[in-house]
Amino acid sequence: MTAIRTSNLTKRFGTLTAVDRVDLEIETGEIFGFLGHNGAGKSTLINILLDFARPTSGSVEVFGVDCQERPVAARERMGVLPEGYDVYEDLTGREHVQFAMESRDVTGDPMDVLERVGIANDADRDATGYSKGMQQRLVLGMALVGDPDLLILDEPTSGLDPNGAKAMREIIKAENERGATVFFSSHILEQVEKVCDRVGIMHEGELAAVDTIENLKQTVGGGTKLLITTDGDADSWVETVEAVDGVDSAWWDAEFDGGDADATRLVVTCTNDAKMDILVALTEAGADVLDFTTEEPSLEDLFVQYTGGQA
Amino acid sequence: MTWAVIARKEFEDVVDPRFGKAGLAAVALVFVLGGYILPMNVPEPTSAQYASYMNGAVSLVVPLFGLLMGYKTIVADRAAGRLTLLFTLPYSRRDAVLGKYVARAGLLAAAVATGVLAGSWLVYYPFGSFDAVVVLGYLAVTCCYGLAFLGIGFAISTLTTSNRVASGATFGVFVLFVVLWGQLRGALALALEYLGLADGSLPDWALFLHGLEPSLLYSRVVTGFYADVTTGSYFGPDAAWYLGAWPALVALLAWTVAPLALGYARFEATDL
Repeated sequence: MTAIRTSNLTKRFGTLTAVDRVDLEIETGEIFGFLGHNGAGKSTLINILLDFARPTSGSVEVFGVDCQERPVAARERMGVLPEGYDVYEDLTGREHVQFAMESRDVTGDPMDVLERVGIANDADRDATGYSKGMQQRLVLGMALVGDPDLLILDEPTSGLDPNGAKAMREIIKAENERGATVFFSSHILEQVEKVCDRVGIMHEGELAAVDTIENLKQTVGGGTKLLITTDGDADSWVETVEAVDGVDSAWWDAEFDGGDADATRLVVTCTNDAKMDILVALTEAGADVLDFTTEEPSLEDLFVQYTGGQA
Repeated sequence: MTWAVIARKEFEDVVDPRFGKAGLAAVALVFVLGGYILPMNVPEPTSAQYASYMNGAVSLVVPLFGLLMGYKTIVADRAAGRLTLLFTLPYSRRDAVLGKYVARAGLLAAAVATGVLAGSWLVYYPFGSFDAVVVLGYLAVTCCYGLAFLGIGFAISTLTTSNRVASGATFGVFVLFVVLWGQLRGALALALEYLGLADGSLPDWALFLHGLEPSLLYSRVVTGFYADVTTGSYFGPDAAWYLGAWPALVALLAWTVAPLALGYARFEATDL
């Protein structure tokens, strides 16, 4: 079952194309990270999903329900933490959750929800007096009411301190284990990398890439980069290393200065699994390995690659 | 009945802030004051006399209050982002409009009803008379009048995303309809005369068009039903049938529905 499916989705504002022919499929049960700079079109796509905005062309479905034709039915299955909301004046945190419960026809104690998102101590304060982080927690709490099948979180960690961000990730994971599909947008790579099964990268309205983080890294960086410091060098070592399965290429780092006249560094790009085999092969060839480090291409690298170096 | 949850919330929102309660009380008080003053001037006042006596004050207070109750309905929540929060929940835009409108219309009607009933009782006691049919009819027509302006205010609230624009437009409508419209009749007559379409006074069709403004309609309904007037361009023996009270009542009812429907259609069609 597909949780979210967009078909050729396009949204124009005047001459600006905010979302440009996006085809995206998100399977039930996955945690999908939606990456992009501010203004890349992430929120516009989410707004169409919620029927806050109507597409210029194309369509979106949530669990097979068209989001524009039956927005209420679609939103019945979603819990949403939107961007650019404001809380109600003269309503406490508890009353907000109560309102969400009444709206979804759910019975229960609002305090359970508030405890879960960590603002139980402020339950009876006016929510307009909450900090941005507390409001984020409150609205996340409202989104969790009724155990929705799909959680839509637009920049969920904005306004949260590191502890709050960690708590948010734990809730995302727990909800996913319960069976919920999670779709969340962020411009913070670290947040996405820590929880997501797959990511999509939006850039200037277009969906630039969709894949697992692992695959994206393979595509962009040729996998892992291994830096091996050896005592002395021998030209044959490069051949030795290149003969190992999974090695892409190897070369001496000409700019390396280890502080020791004899120390040299060999750079190897390879798959993650080949690392130990390379070290074993080098040792067998008589090399004296002093040190080694690996460099994984970061998501930042991917991002730069896909979005033209603006990250 | 999901809109009912919104209506109850909206009810609390409107009643709670400073403006709401005081405004509701002020509207009721105007009707009560009228009921208090009328018996001082008329020895044996009737309910019908009360209705036509109130006309002047009502045609100022009710449009003002109706507009004030309506003009923020959508735009305030939209500008602040509270609509965004509301629509994360499974509500349709119709639910939101219905809930908000029903709450506001109910409060407006309650204020008018409280005032009219209390005022009518003051007229009746101790020397006057009370005619239930007249009072209920007058109450219903006056509520429609209020709802017409509530609907206009509501329509304004759907047309813009800026609170300032909504306030400005509301003020403009108030000035145009309540302050200026009556004076336009003279200007209209001059213009038509210049064009050779009229001769000194307005022809019936122009009178009808000019008279479609809600305050003039209301005034015509109340005058026609409760004041026993048989002279003037609307009620004189030669006046066209469509200038009478019943067509005016139909047009007033249309005012309660049309702006509301237009505003709803507009809200339904636009992005948040």
